[in-house]
Amino acid sequence: MATRLKEVDAVIVGLGWTGGILAKELSAAGLKVVALERGKMFSTAEDFQVPQVRDELRYVQRHELMQNAARDTLTIRNNPNQEALPMRRLGSFLPGEGAGGSGMHWSGHTWRWTDMEFKVRSRYEERYGKSFIPADMTIQDWGITYAELEPYYDKFERVAAVSGKAGNIDGQIQPGGNPFEAPRAREYPLPPLTPILANEVFSAAAKNAGYHPFPRPSANASRAYTNPDGVRFGACQYCGFCQRFGCEANAKGSPHMTVIPIAMRNPNFELRTHAWVSKILKDASGKRVTGVTYTNVLNGEEFEQPASIVLLTAYALNNVHLMLLSGLGQPYDPVSQKGVIGKNYCYQTGAGATLFFEGRNFNPFMSAGGSSASADDFNTNWDFDRGKHGWIGGYNLSSGFNTALPIGYRPVPRGTPAWGKEWKAATAKWYQTAMNVGVSGSVMANRYNYFDLDPTYRNAFGQPLMRMTFDYKENEHKMGRHAAQVINDLAKSMNPTRLNEATARTEPWTVVPYQSTHNTGGTIMGTSPRSSALNKYLQSWDYHNLFVVGANVFAHNASYNPTGPVGALAYWTADAVKRYTKNPAPLVSA
Amino acid sequence: MTTRKVFFAAALAVIAHAASAQGDPKRGEKVFEECRACHAIEKGSNGVGPSLHGVIGRRAAELDDFRYSPAFKRANITWTRQNLDAFLADPQKLVPANRMPYAGMPEAKDRADVIEYMQRILK
Repeated sequence: MATRLKEVDAVIVGLGWTGGILAKELSAAGLKVVALERGKMFSTAEDFQVPQVRDELRYVQRHELMQNAARDTLTIRNNPNQEALPMRRLGSFLPGEGAGGSGMHWSGHTWRWTDMEFKVRSRYEERYGKSFIPADMTIQDWGITYAELEPYYDKFERVAAVSGKAGNIDGQIQPGGNPFEAPRAREYPLPPLTPILANEVFSAAAKNAGYHPFPRPSANASRAYTNPDGVRFGACQYCGFCQRFGCEANAKGSPHMTVIPIAMRNPNFELRTHAWVSKILKDASGKRVTGVTYTNVLNGEEFEQPASIVLLTAYALNNVHLMLLSGLGQPYDPVSQKGVIGKNYCYQTGAGATLFFEGRNFNPFMSAGGSSASADDFNTNWDFDRGKHGWIGGYNLSSGFNTALPIGYRPVPRGTPAWGKEWKAATAKWYQTAMNVGVSGSVMANRYNYFDLDPTYRNAFGQPLMRMTFDYKENEHKMGRHAAQVINDLAKSMNPTRLNEATARTEPWTVVPYQSTHNTGGTIMGTSPRSSALNKYLQSWDYHNLFVVGANVFAHNASYNPTGPVGALAYWTADAVKRYTKNPAPLVSA
Repeated sequence: MTTRKVFFAAALAVIAHAASAQGDPKRGEKVFEECRACHAIEKGSNGVGPSLHGVIGRRAAELDDFRYSPAFKRANITWTRQNLDAFLADPQKLVPANRMPYAGMPEAKDRADVIEYMQRILK
């Protein structure tokens, strides 16, 4: 029997970037806030010291900062005709666990998604006609605009110490930045990271090809920095261990050293770690949620935490899972296309080439998380005519190194044996000489890519696992082939000694190997309760005191990494919740 | 500051050209921003690194309330201005295998200024 605790103003489920931002903002606004986090607390001094943080086995193979798939995971299939099977070991994506969440082991890439995404359906229809969008492609407008979000992007970039070069300030194109970005009110808080050789080689070739390369904006402080909250950042040391690792120099913008400690100094805020939320509770009226049920995973004790407002801020997949487990909202059905919970799951796609230059040393072991040069000529460049190519979306072209692991990073030309003497000779010969050119590509929503509860498999708490049904569709295949061609042409123009050419991902998607932790959708924001789970303030259409924050609100997935809009939307939602507390009602009338 | 320490610092200023007393403590305070992500200037306030309150003249790994790396415990040095200058120039050279995630301060003027700041302010 669960022990019923005293009611609080707001309960936060999951304490990463979004939970941390809301915890700080709402406790500062005077609300009594409790955060429930299934993992433990982390600190830079205790957990991320050198040399123990430089442990590829511990953090990459054994996933020390990640969720334990033996306790909870997903079942996976490519289409509704298949039987889904549990993912018993993390692979393709790596959700974080603990106070700080994936915000500790991310690389820091912080992009601004624009109206090209937020108004995706209306823009493509306007330019290419209604029939250009395939019937099964369930893309829809998000209900928000870039202009509304701009100040919140700015806020997040300053809190997270983003280093970059503006390409467009108030409509004025800035040399050295991305000319295809949407207008920004001001420059990044920090100058770009020092480019590495691969960035320079790529940028020169990209310019020759007529593209517009620029340094990738990243929450890796390019020099010592104090953010607007007074949090001090050290300068990035280009240590080569960014992705999947915590930062020992406090140079990577992370919730555990920014928003979370600030919230924890506020007496209005309480963090309970090792607290596994299993259900969101609703009242008899069916219009409000009343709190959550959670288990202390250290001793098995069960609690009910009543709250006036529930904020779901776990990893994107877990937010959707909790909605389904709690019976909140109508589950999505791909046959009738009715219901919204589980709808529009999207992943990302990509392609990459490896270039070998005999006699050149790229020093792959020296890099920041954001040591990439990028070009958006086939991404946010709306002038690029998709009509000729017949696909929707975009891809960011880039080159650089991010965490070229001492054991795992072993570039060799295709045709090299996978083991033995010849492999050893090849890895010694080519390790220093390789660089890459690759893309990260968008995935448009599709009717048959979605989540629901698995009928067979259950987690450690006896609850049904969430089932993911996903595959790349023809749109992504076409875009992938276009991208592979662009990569290979560019790579050949650079005259490498050897080249492993890029190919499009057209085989059925699988959960191995690692691809990207950018899972989106499932409880999407939108303009109508018939087609979306949340309004533009990430407030549930059905339960007005429930807010769901994270990449699960994205109505489709872009080429860019999601953390920029995830952080901005968390600040945007914090403001909405503050307004909501003065007048607890739907913020948008349905 | 004790008379002995003042004398010691003054003597060093003559010996060590790079760490001469010409340092500008105001500019040094700005340079010190690089250190502040990990090092507090308040006494007893340890972060990722130990407090630098009163560091000049202190023995390496001397504070009781900070968990130093074995490299610093073994180092057997005193943070004279000269040693600090050498350390800041190339931290891994003076104290090999230490855990401070900092590549070094290549400019002699930056080091002189920051040491002057530490000498005057963090006493």
